[in-house]
Amino acid sequence: MSATIPVVPVSGEPTRNKGAQTEETGTVVLESVTKRYGTATAVDSISLRVEAGEFLSLLGPSGCGKTTTLRMLAGFEQPDAGSIRISGQNVIGVPPHRRNVNTVFQAYALFPHMSIAENVAYGLRQKRVGKQEIREKVTEALDMVQMVSFADRRPTQLSGGQQQRIALARALINRPAVLLLDEPLGALDRQLREEMQLELKLLQSRLGITFIFVTHDQGEALSMSDRIAIMRDGRIEQLANADTIYDSPANAYVAGFVGQQNFLSGRIGVDPHVMDTEFGQLRATTVTGELIVGSDAQAAVRPEAVTVSAEEPASVTTPNVVPGELIGVSHLGETLQFLVQIGHEHTLLARLPRPAAPRLAVGDRVWCSWSDESVNFFPAKQAAAAKAKIAKDAVDPAASTRAISIKE
Amino acid sequence: MTTQLEAIGAAALQSEPPSAASAPGRDWKRLPRAILAFPAWAWLIAFFLAPVGMVIWFSFGYKPGMFGTHANDVLSLDRYAEALSPTFFATFQNTLWVGVTGTLIILAISVPFAYWLALKAPMRHRGILLAMVMIPFWTNFLIRTIGWQIILAPEGFFSQVLQTLGITDGPLEIMFTRTAVLIGVVYNYLPLMVLPLFVAFDRVTLSLREASKDLGAGRWSTFLHITLPLAKPGLIVGVLLVYIPLMGDYITATVLGGAKGNMAGQMVANQFQTAQNWALGSAMAVVLILTILGTAALAGLIAWLGTWPMRARRRLVLGVEK
Repeated sequence: MSATIPVVPVSGEPTRNKGAQTEETGTVVLESVTKRYGTATAVDSISLRVEAGEFLSLLGPSGCGKTTTLRMLAGFEQPDAGSIRISGQNVIGVPPHRRNVNTVFQAYALFPHMSIAENVAYGLRQKRVGKQEIREKVTEALDMVQMVSFADRRPTQLSGGQQQRIALARALINRPAVLLLDEPLGALDRQLREEMQLELKLLQSRLGITFIFVTHDQGEALSMSDRIAIMRDGRIEQLANADTIYDSPANAYVAGFVGQQNFLSGRIGVDPHVMDTEFGQLRATTVTGELIVGSDAQAAVRPEAVTVSAEEPASVTTPNVVPGELIGVSHLGETLQFLVQIGHEHTLLARLPRPAAPRLAVGDRVWCSWSDESVNFFPAKQAAAAKAKIAKDAVDPAASTRAISIKE
Repeated sequence: MTTQLEAIGAAALQSEPPSAASAPGRDWKRLPRAILAFPAWAWLIAFFLAPVGMVIWFSFGYKPGMFGTHANDVLSLDRYAEALSPTFFATFQNTLWVGVTGTLIILAISVPFAYWLALKAPMRHRGILLAMVMIPFWTNFLIRTIGWQIILAPEGFFSQVLQTLGITDGPLEIMFTRTAVLIGVVYNYLPLMVLPLFVAFDRVTLSLREASKDLGAGRWSTFLHITLPLAKPGLIVGVLLVYIPLMGDYITATVLGGAKGNMAGQMVANQFQTAQNWALGSAMAVVLILTILGTAALAGLIAWLGTWPMRARRRLVLGVEK
């Protein structure tokens, strides 16, 4: 899968033939792609290789450059520097209508003056395909999204979810090498969104087309993608599969952005796997970032990795134990969420599956514990920046939907 | 509009429990909502339908002697025969020529300009550019038209420029001709076409045009299949807004047309004001109204038939039994 990318020195000259033999149809390669708007850099020297038939998500908060990246792939924007190859072909300067790439737009962008069938047929008509063939292919495409009976309606007569399916059928009718999806599920309600996530994933594996999916919703990215590129300020922070991103974040930003984290500050001891905090020593099996002995650091642990108990657990079996006072319990359906006050100004969030959760009351003295495999240490400075950034993102409404999806 | 009304409705529902509606002293709320349209239809009846009805009525009458303006004791179609007699008919022909040519010229200028203004011009310049279209429009119609007299005069500015450049030898002789009227109306009515077209193009969202290009359509194809059909309402409004007043215009024709560039509006005004023949004037007015309605309907039919092949090619019916 992850073949090594030949590091080509980037210059303005076309790299049409370079790597054309190794890049099969559907492979997308970006090399040091930069896009500036005035003085702002929207995309900052991104390099990325998407394999043929892969489902890749670009995940990040608004303004991170994910949509700009997608628009450069579609051909609506031209990069200021770097090269883009689709199916081994250099596409710099190639207009959108000459690229073997199709897009599902955020607001679907269905043509209001055409029927559903005519919308879906649009791509074929541009190719001057015969009417009988158009009829067959449109029927097939509508059948694929289970919308055949809506063929004669107008887009305005359809619900959001139905319009979404039509947009998908329309974009896939020309069988593009790559399908670009720009937050296509953003306008749907939660239940429909989850249904569509499943359908999209099934469709993608059936068609074997490369999907590049832009979203700010981590739940969406985690549930569908083969790999996820976490973006921030025009750069890729981490490119990995969902498990790696969730369990071994490359840095504190990724750790804080995907899912929820408890951050605890302290100082690295002689052993970089041990951190001294006001709550005692914390241990981690894996350590990321440049951690120097004696430097300030942050430990990140996920709420679902934390166990809460009324009795002190044996420290032999659990390397990380922190005592505290239970200040809140909330019901999240399948899980119970505990908020524990530790020290004077710190709280720790823990989530336990309901059958296994202990019966505790607010005000009880409790012990929080977690394994050393579920902790990541990061340099303190990095973690502080990440927390500040995440707090800022939490203000914008787009990010609040993420907060909801965390609780599911 | 709808959303505003809905919002008001929703707010009303929330602020009052259902029982409050049946409370005494709330009966005024039961007035039909059509009351909102009262000022509009009262105005329309008093100042449009009634006068037009009177004009139609007068057109069947005659002018009784020197000092009467109209009489309706004997009804006939004689005034129509008179209105369509060769002298007056030539004026109708002239009016139609100026109206159709003028509208087509305005259309040819406005479509590319409004397209560029709405979709291609830099956002920060858009306000200034729109203002440049609008500001001349705020000046008095008569003054603007008289301004053209100065420009188009044989010894005027335009004539001198043409002579200096060697394009014409001798002074320009277009003042008091049909050409002068045409120049005048194109200038006067241009903003009425540019504005609705600008709004129409502006409403064709970027993502629709991008979707078209994404699906393989080039610039021309996108313009023809997406942008233009979606701007159609603006196009129709613009054409009607220009063509109807242009056909009835009499200031431009009076100021720039003289005897050779006479138009129907001027002719009707003459019958009412100078000749004091209201019956003939009314018949002419009715002929003018019918000409406008007839040609507008014809233009609509031609446009519909002209775009029929495109729609037929696009039309797709799936023969699916489900």
